[in-house]
Amino acid sequence: MKSTWKFFASVKLAIVLFILITLASILGTLIPQGRSAAEYTARYGGSSGLFVSLQLTRLYQSFWYLALLLLFALNTVVCTVSRFGPKWRRAFGPAVDANPQTLMTLKVKNRFRLALPIAAAKDRIAGLLRSRRYRLTESTTASGVVLLARKRRLGRFGSDVVHLGLLVILAGGFTSGLGGRRAEVPLLEGQTADVPHAAFQVRLDKFETEYYPRGEVKDWKSTVTVLENGAPVLTRVVMVNHPLTYRGFSFFQTSYGWDWDNPRFELEVRKRADAAFSKTVALKVGERAPVDDADVSHVIVRQFVPDFVIGEGNQVQSRSQEPNNPAAMVEAWKGEERVFSGWIFAKYPDFGQGHTAGQSALAFVLKNYTAAPYSVLEAAKDPGVTFIWLGCVLVTAGFFLAFYWPPREIRVVLEEVQGKIEVTTGGQAAKSRETFQSEFDQIFESARRPA
Amino acid sequence: MTESTLFTIAFIFYVAALLVDFASLFARREKWARNGLALAAAGLVFHTAALILRTVVSHHAPFTNMYESLSFLSWAVVVALIVFGRKTQVPKLGPYLMLIVVGLVALASSPLMPKGATPLVPALQSYWLWLHVSVTLLGEAFFTVAFVSSLLYLAADTEEKKEKLDALSYRAVAVGFPLFTLGGLIFGMVWAYRAWGSYWTWDPKEVWSLITWFVFALYLHTRVVMGWKGKRSAIVAILGFLAALFTYFGVNYLLAGLHSYA
Repeated sequence: MKSTWKFFASVKLAIVLFILITLASILGTLIPQGRSAAEYTARYGGSSGLFVSLQLTRLYQSFWYLALLLLFALNTVVCTVSRFGPKWRRAFGPAVDANPQTLMTLKVKNRFRLALPIAAAKDRIAGLLRSRRYRLTESTTASGVVLLARKRRLGRFGSDVVHLGLLVILAGGFTSGLGGRRAEVPLLEGQTADVPHAAFQVRLDKFETEYYPRGEVKDWKSTVTVLENGAPVLTRVVMVNHPLTYRGFSFFQTSYGWDWDNPRFELEVRKRADAAFSKTVALKVGERAPVDDADVSHVIVRQFVPDFVIGEGNQVQSRSQEPNNPAAMVEAWKGEERVFSGWIFAKYPDFGQGHTAGQSALAFVLKNYTAAPYSVLEAAKDPGVTFIWLGCVLVTAGFFLAFYWPPREIRVVLEEVQGKIEVTTGGQAAKSRETFQSEFDQIFESARRPA
Repeated sequence: MTESTLFTIAFIFYVAALLVDFASLFARREKWARNGLALAAAGLVFHTAALILRTVVSHHAPFTNMYESLSFLSWAVVVALIVFGRKTQVPKLGPYLMLIVVGLVALASSPLMPKGATPLVPALQSYWLWLHVSVTLLGEAFFTVAFVSSLLYLAADTEEKKEKLDALSYRAVAVGFPLFTLGGLIFGMVWAYRAWGSYWTWDPKEVWSLITWFVFALYLHTRVVMGWKGKRSAIVAILGFLAALFTYFGVNYLLAGLHSYA
């Protein structure tokens, strides 16, 4: 037990862990994380199996990386606790090691005699120390009086506060990982959806994209209403950098798009032989739309894509969500006879019309294509976040204490020697020793020769 | 005056400071070094004006692309030099830091860096842009001071010089490390949470900030608890700076991730 404690109390272990965590973290930035198995096979060939079984492809969530972090946490706890007692006594304890010989070995020191009664000498020095914001602890020994003056005592605990903050952050990280719930909620305008893991719903009232004058995206704005049992509770605009928080859930604007699976469009039917003929029908994918003409009874659109491209395996795909190259697979029927079948392109109306049916007598124009915009909100309930912010505050405060609140300590021994009071004093400061030296000198100059 | 004119004037002052600094070093006229510092400070005035003008014209914080952030980083290094340069008795600090400043400004001015001010994408529209980037780069500027003094330590010949350089390196880390932690990691987490909905995603830039943080934590622990000083400390500080440099530059060009702005 004792040796285990010693093992974890060692700063050498901390150094080893610093180095191991650093190296592991570097490795994780060299191997792309969380990709598909196929991508790893393409990248690493036969050794990809080894990568996966060593969890190198999800390294930061791997058993061994988390184990390193836990060891690091344990090491931090034990190191901090084992050094805390002596520090606490140094800062707040009443015990004073006030051997004048020891004091005279310090770098900042002084020794002089005052022709005053001991109580008056003590009061004078104590007053000077107090006016410089030192807190005094007084004790009486066989040979005289000892004053222990300390200020900025909390400065000793800077590193402890940083360590505590780091532990709270790590606890927050584990809490987020284990207890965090997040889900993407895609919503069309007007649509209401249950929030996963929550007892309320959200409705997207409106979604708009704002642009800068030169066309770059300025903002995505989702107007969202929270509903409890069907009744609206509050309405807010959710934007990137402006999440909505309700009952422990936060809603972030993460993505957007258009519902091209349910596009709306119009098809104009023309005849090559009859320039005067034109009939426009509005229709949906897969729906028979009557044209009611002697040459064409009805049309059907079998497929619609907003950004036509021939992908792998000669499959028609959409390159993007943007309507860059809208195309529709159109069939025209004359009763039971299919008179046209082929892709038509909104932006290239003359391209390819009639490739299947030879020189078709019919021509088509794809017009007024739109799709309902949708917004994707990320709904997150992350109980770890509170710990994270608390830990961040502690780390910041700890750094302030450690670097900018250096403790100072002055010990004064007053003894009666040959009818006078001999004052022996020595001081220690954790940082900025020159300013401390000048403060020390001023205090004891004034003690010797009061103005 | 336009922003680029002000920036060019600042550059000229920095080059003049560099020349005067090196002249004072080689001619062993320490009084000239004060003139070098004054020239750097004059350059800083014009540089500050250039940054303010760019902010006014673009309506956003002047660190949204590589040109802007290099400009701000070089500004921060000059600030760090002025903070330390007046008190410290290390004559070589000024010349070598100014060499880095002139290098950074030259890189910012090079055709590699597009200078156009583009409107902010939604993710960057936040006051955290100011806090996160400025405090982080300021921290990295102090790491640069630690780097230069550590290199000078390794090259120093006398014990007296070594002692001063070792102390300077530690003091620079003592300023840079809290700033980097606060700006880079803490403000970064707060902003990531607001913009992306998650305070930590193990994005390469985040991981490399953490690595940088670990190296400087190693520096402090080996020094304060294990009593390392001098050569070993200097090497750790140099490694820390290189990690910070990779976080700043390398990640953008070599590793893909969410953090693809600058």
